[in-house]
Amino acid sequence: MSRILVVDDAATVRMYHRKILGDAGWQTEEAINGLEALEKVHNQPADQPFDLFVVDINMPKMDGYAFVRELRRYTAAHQAPVMMVSTEAQRQDTFAAWEAGANCYLVKPARPQELVLAASLLLGDAQAAVKAAEGVKQ
Amino acid sequence: MGIRYLKKHAALEDIVTVEDAETLLDWLKKQKKPAVNLGRCQHLHAAVLQVLLAVRPAIVGDVPDPWLRKALGCPEA
Amino acid sequence: MNQTELLDQFILEARDCLEQAGQRLLEVEKNPDDKERLNDLFRMVHTLKGNCGLFEFKALETVVHAGEDLLDRVRNGTLGYNDVIADALLEAMDFTAQMVDEIEKTGQIAVEAAPRSQALSSRLRALLEPGATVSTPRAPVSAPAAPLPEAATASPLPSPEPVPPWVDALPPDWRSSPSTAVAWRYSPEPECFFKGEDPWLLARQVPGLLHLKSGTQAPWADLSTLDCYRCNLAFAGISSAPVAYLHEHFRYVPEQVEFFELSNLPDKAAATSMQATVGSPANAAMSSAEVADTATASPDERAQAVRELIFLRTLQIWEDQLIILGRPSPQPGVIQACRLAFKNLLHTLQELELPVSLQAQSSLAAINSVGALVSWAQTHRPSLDHPVASADTVSAAGGGPLTPDNSRRGGGGADDGAGHNKVLKVGQEKIDRLMDLIGEMVVAKNALPYLAQRAESVFQQRELAREIKAQYAVINRIAEDMQHAIMQVRMMPVGTVFQRFGRLVRDISKKLGKDVQLVVEGEDTEADKNVIEALADPLIHILRNSLDHGIELPEVRRAAGKPEQGTIKVVAHQESDRVFIEISDDGAGVNPTRVRDKAVERGLIPADKAATLSDAEAVQLIFLPGFSTAESISDLSGRGVGMDVVRTAVERINGHVDLQSTQGKGTRIRLSLPLSMAVTNVMIIEAGNRRFGVPMDLIVETVRVHADDIHHFKQARTTVLRGRIVPLRALHDLLALDESPLTNEDGEHAVLVVRLGSENVGLLVDHFHGATDIILKPLEGVLSGLTGFAGTALMGDGGVLMILNPKELV
Repeated sequence: MSRILVVDDAATVRMYHRKILGDAGWQTEEAINGLEALEKVHNQPADQPFDLFVVDINMPKMDGYAFVRELRRYTAAHQAPVMMVSTEAQRQDTFAAWEAGANCYLVKPARPQELVLAASLLLGDAQAAVKAAEGVKQ
Repeated sequence: MGIRYLKKHAALEDIVTVEDAETLLDWLKKQKKPAVNLGRCQHLHAAVLQVLLAVRPAIVGDVPDPWLRKALGCPEA
Repeated sequence: MNQTELLDQFILEARDCLEQAGQRLLEVEKNPDDKERLNDLFRMVHTLKGNCGLFEFKALETVVHAGEDLLDRVRNGTLGYNDVIADALLEAMDFTAQMVDEIEKTGQIAVEAAPRSQALSSRLRALLEPGATVSTPRAPVSAPAAPLPEAATASPLPSPEPVPPWVDALPPDWRSSPSTAVAWRYSPEPECFFKGEDPWLLARQVPGLLHLKSGTQAPWADLSTLDCYRCNLAFAGISSAPVAYLHEHFRYVPEQVEFFELSNLPDKAAATSMQATVGSPANAAMSSAEVADTATASPDERAQAVRELIFLRTLQIWEDQLIILGRPSPQPGVIQACRLAFKNLLHTLQELELPVSLQAQSSLAAINSVGALVSWAQTHRPSLDHPVASADTVSAAGGGPLTPDNSRRGGGGADDGAGHNKVLKVGQEKIDRLMDLIGEMVVAKNALPYLAQRAESVFQQRELAREIKAQYAVINRIAEDMQHAIMQVRMMPVGTVFQRFGRLVRDISKKLGKDVQLVVEGEDTEADKNVIEALADPLIHILRNSLDHGIELPEVRRAAGKPEQGTIKVVAHQESDRVFIEISDDGAGVNPTRVRDKAVERGLIPADKAATLSDAEAVQLIFLPGFSTAESISDLSGRGVGMDVVRTAVERINGHVDLQSTQGKGTRIRLSLPLSMAVTNVMIIEAGNRRFGVPMDLIVETVRVHADDIHHFKQARTTVLRGRIVPLRALHDLLALDESPLTNEDGEHAVLVVRLGSENVGLLVDHFHGATDIILKPLEGVLSGLTGFAGTALMGDGGVLMILNPKELV
């Protein structure tokens, strides 16, 4: 069962993402900013690490970029793909995300099934990918 | 590795370097029906690409690299 | 959790944001320079906007977005706060509150709200630049029901840079690329080949490449006069990568390249944000294709469209990973994550039977470095031309090497979680037998060139000789492929050896009263079975040394200002054809003085020589046979087993050991091992009418030295090569042959320069013959004690070749 960590300072967004990802069949947890997210990564059980991170950029205390940079430096952790989801639609933001070490960049509001599709591909969950793609093609 | 000259075509395989360009050109010029097989070619140097574009030999078999395929003007698979 | 709960949460948070924003607004009015409150205000509105977007409350979002843009300018100081702005914001917030109430009642916003929403947001936006209307490319597309035209996109932008003719000349279908893409043109200079450049390689590897075409700078010359070494090629393309990345890619030939950002095309400048919904840059080129109307399609067509979408998205994410990995010096974490991403992408393609390259999955397992990962990803990029991977068929995609991952053995091998790879259990003897047979084939094929030679010289059959050589080339390739394939089968992860370390470290550290943690990395790195088996003992010994002599007792460490817990780190990684294993600790290090003294005490080295050694050199003395610095030979290490045994064991499998130590800080031991053990490339040389083989990786060069250039000093002979003095030894003397080294008709000696440790030594021989691949068989039985020889090899003509071990000879 894949485990996803949703990182966003807006409670509604956290709930929203957890809903659509949960409906796709995955386990989700949340963190309200980068710092809390790092703590959760640090405390994750070794046999059940997070398989995917869905991360907002603008958060207080530690923003999305800083979180990914720290995560990628943290050699003791299982390195899972990171999907950055943000309201910023500029190219620079995509590049900044890549420079920090994120694997994929989506602009909010992504059509929900596009987000689930990207997550399925990064998780290697073929069944979920098909369902999500069907949802997009509706 | 390099080019193998067979009876009906030259087989370009793995990595074909700049030094192979001239030999290939000479060989192709001598053939009645020049032909090359790029099925196992991973990369060829620009000089070799030049020779292929100038001579335009027949292409035997597949061209696995899509960019090379387009460059040579092969019809889409 | 359902939609109502989500909506409730939205309403809750929206009201919360509004309340806080309202308060901040009033506070900011009193103190317009209060940065913190301004930022707070901005954040509230920003969060609100984000939440609105989730529900597609477009009318609401438009207004809030306009408010956010306004506040952004205010907070970064480019716009002064005044009561006009304050009033507009307050009205916007009232509107928002009303909308939230309506949402609570009916679950949506009435269509009639749209005009008011437009009016409000225009008013807000007008304040961004007093006196003029502004176009904001970020404004979302207005709700379909709105009767008013989109107010956000207004007057045309300032005219973009003029479009160069070469951009106009690009194929029309390229223009549907996203407006964020960059067109480029590369005209290599005619002499570039002589500078070692390969413009085709450079063009092909442009990051984020969407389109590429090649052409010529001038029409082709007539074939009879064509100079293939004068570059006449020209390339043009479209790339989704940022211009900065492109500049970097072409940094050595900047004057030969031109760029043009597609956003400067007149029709692109006012592009709507259709592309912004899924931000991956490579995406939008394909969005247009996506708009296909699936509502009226048949179920089959729908299923096909679904598969195409999945394939497309996979490809986009694949390309993004390549761009990420192309950045300078990515962190190891980045590489790991990208690798996992690739693995998962591949998995889905395979599960859904979409086209994927056959060897992709198995060859991914062995990759550890960023360079290897990048070329793997480029080679195995999903393309509609790959045959569909299915478990049964072995399709002839160019007839590449067989990769029987089904016969991979346990210990962390080919699992991908889906249990799709079939695994066969195979007895070890069968693998060994196969290995032997392939080994024999590799040697037997070597007879063919010899036969071809005979056909030509003895039997005057030139045609036949040529055909034999041609066929040899075919067999040679197949034999090499078989060899690689069997090597893959024999490859095992080093983790199988590392497994026992955890327990070992725990038990011994407890026994010695020390606190040690073991960190292991790279357990998936693979090496040949024989190498792994031969490694077990040396590694355990090194670990014991570390525990015994390296890591200090906790009190000692504390006194030295170190953390009480010592760390031993074991790291394995693979690079080209070698595997590197590094064992390092943060212990006491090796004490050079003690080592020096002990070596002298045991008569291993004269005192005056010992004194001339530097500390780094002195530390290396522990490799001398018969050495041990332990005061008491504890029952854990010692028993006369020293580092010399480790070194010998490692060198026997063609590896190297390297030790570095800093007193007080720690020790690091590095092992370098070959990936495969069986086939060695040797050069055949002749001395005293006998032939011998010398391993190619020891050979520095072959050179002819005139007898006059050899300096004699007592018994020693030397010569000067490339400005350095190289000692010379006659192989004849070393092997106690009766004959003396021969010279050729010019009075020159044949000298084979080999590298022994850090020095070069020249071996005088009679003749050089060619290089060849052989299966090295170590000496066995009565001959195993013989020094000077690494082993024997069976030659194509049936003879036996003795392979030298120069280190032991000299």
